[in-house]
Amino acid sequence: MSRFKIANIIAYGFVTLFSIYVLMPILVMVLTTFKSKREIFLEPLGLPGQFGLSSFERALTVGLGSFMLNSFIVSFFAVFLIVTISGMAAYVLSRIDFKINKYVYLLIVAGFAIPPAAVLVPLYTMVSNLNLLNSLFGVIMPLTAFGIPFTVILFYAFFLDFPKEVEEAATIDGCTKLQIFFRIIVPLSGPVIASAAIFQTVWIWNEFLLALIMLTSDDFKTLPIGLLKLRGEWASDWGAIMAGLTIAVIPVLIVFLIFQKYFVRSLAGLGK
Amino acid sequence: MNKNNTQTNIFSLSNDKVSATILLVPALIFCTIFIFIPAIGTIVGSFYSYSLTSMNNWKWVGFGNYVQATQDEYFWVALKNNFIIVFASIVLQVGVGTILAAILDRGIKYGRVIFRTIIFTPMVISSVAVSLIWLIIYDPNVGILNAIFKSIGLSTPSKGWLGDPNISIWMIMITAAWQNTGFMMVLILAGLQGVSKEVYDAAEIDGATGVKAFWYITLPMIRNVLIVAILITTIGAFKVFEFIFVFTQGGPSNATQVLGTYIYLQAFNLLHMGYANALSVILLLIALFLGWLQLKSSRKA
Repeated sequence: MSRFKIANIIAYGFVTLFSIYVLMPILVMVLTTFKSKREIFLEPLGLPGQFGLSSFERALTVGLGSFMLNSFIVSFFAVFLIVTISGMAAYVLSRIDFKINKYVYLLIVAGFAIPPAAVLVPLYTMVSNLNLLNSLFGVIMPLTAFGIPFTVILFYAFFLDFPKEVEEAATIDGCTKLQIFFRIIVPLSGPVIASAAIFQTVWIWNEFLLALIMLTSDDFKTLPIGLLKLRGEWASDWGAIMAGLTIAVIPVLIVFLIFQKYFVRSLAGLGK
Repeated sequence: MNKNNTQTNIFSLSNDKVSATILLVPALIFCTIFIFIPAIGTIVGSFYSYSLTSMNNWKWVGFGNYVQATQDEYFWVALKNNFIIVFASIVLQVGVGTILAAILDRGIKYGRVIFRTIIFTPMVISSVAVSLIWLIIYDPNVGILNAIFKSIGLSTPSKGWLGDPNISIWMIMITAAWQNTGFMMVLILAGLQGVSKEVYDAAEIDGATGVKAFWYITLPMIRNVLIVAILITTIGAFKVFEFIFVFTQGGPSNATQVLGTYIYLQAFNLLHMGYANALSVILLLIALFLGWLQLKSSRKA
């Protein structure tokens, strides 16, 4: 009995310690925001004496609002395109006996394996030649492409398990595959669409490398690139930097906490 | 009746092909334009020497860029760092993630959802934000890591936590583990929840409980999930960019470069486009090899 208790204490102790390790940096971020410059320097481990809001005023001068709006536009359109296009392709791959399907699927998997860093120079040249540098459209298009392979794989697995009886009935009624897809499959695919959309939103909202090389003008920067400006502008003014991070991070954390069940489900499905 | 049926079939078959093509083509167009053509462009460009400003002055150099890579000390440093990050990530993220998942699955009764939510949280924060948050923790003047070390009477590194490459590579690992361990935990937890209760009951009858049962019975049963977890971690370790870009910019004197940051440096700071392409091809081959491994393991699963 006592052995059981010790094991229990170790188990709770381990997850508690790890949770502290996870929460500590977030706490540092929020607390530093409210500290005065003097407190930040002299009492790294102390609590803020009073809740000053001046850090927020300085942080907001770098244009976080516009960065967030850009991120929102990029995420919205790219995720919409990724989910629609991938869902359609995965449906064909899982339902129709084309001889080339096997090769198309292999191609998609290959696309999943290629990281943006491995095609950086030609991609930059292409977007530059199309005069799309410093435009949101110029990032939305390649980001959409890089989101498609993974999402096709996700949808493909879902459609394979999908009961075929309903579709067979619809085919007998004279529906084309196109009609079946939009009228029957899409309305019944809520959970997997939510999973895919959540996963891609997190990825695109946070994407850094492609946005870094393509968006150099402040007017078009997305949030991850814009955050670097905090450091450029406020060098060692940690209060302002942390205030900017707090503004950027807290809304995402709130969205995550509301939908955490779906986030976890979306990512957990990857291992299957 | 019979004749009518055949007619619909033929009709719907040709219709199928049309609808199928309409549904499939957009995905292929996007992937071709933005992934496959640039990938081919990378390979072609790796045999030339050119810079961003003189896009039309392409000079054929054959395998020259690859030869340069084999003689480039910093390329090997970057590759070595990528491999260190791979191995350390597997131990820290998959290893610790497995322990956490096991505890949440059967080790504790209360607070599972709360612990799971907390530990998973960093996954949704952008890596740039994560890097900037950890930058203040590692800061030699205002950082809490220094403050904690000093308060318990330990000495702190003289060049700061990020100034000495032997130390900073581990600081990068701690930050990466902070962000990704929760993801591995959730992935492995899903695998553990697929193991049926009967298996544990049978094991208990045979006298295997607790850690023993976990090691000999549970782990082999979630082998496939663990392989996927290791592959995702490995692929992620080759993609690592933001932590290094924000923490050290690859310095001091290129000691903390990884392939991603070194390609960026060669292409966009030094304007050695051809050489950057050759480095990209090496990354591409590693990535495709890992992708092939993943495909093989998921087929088995």
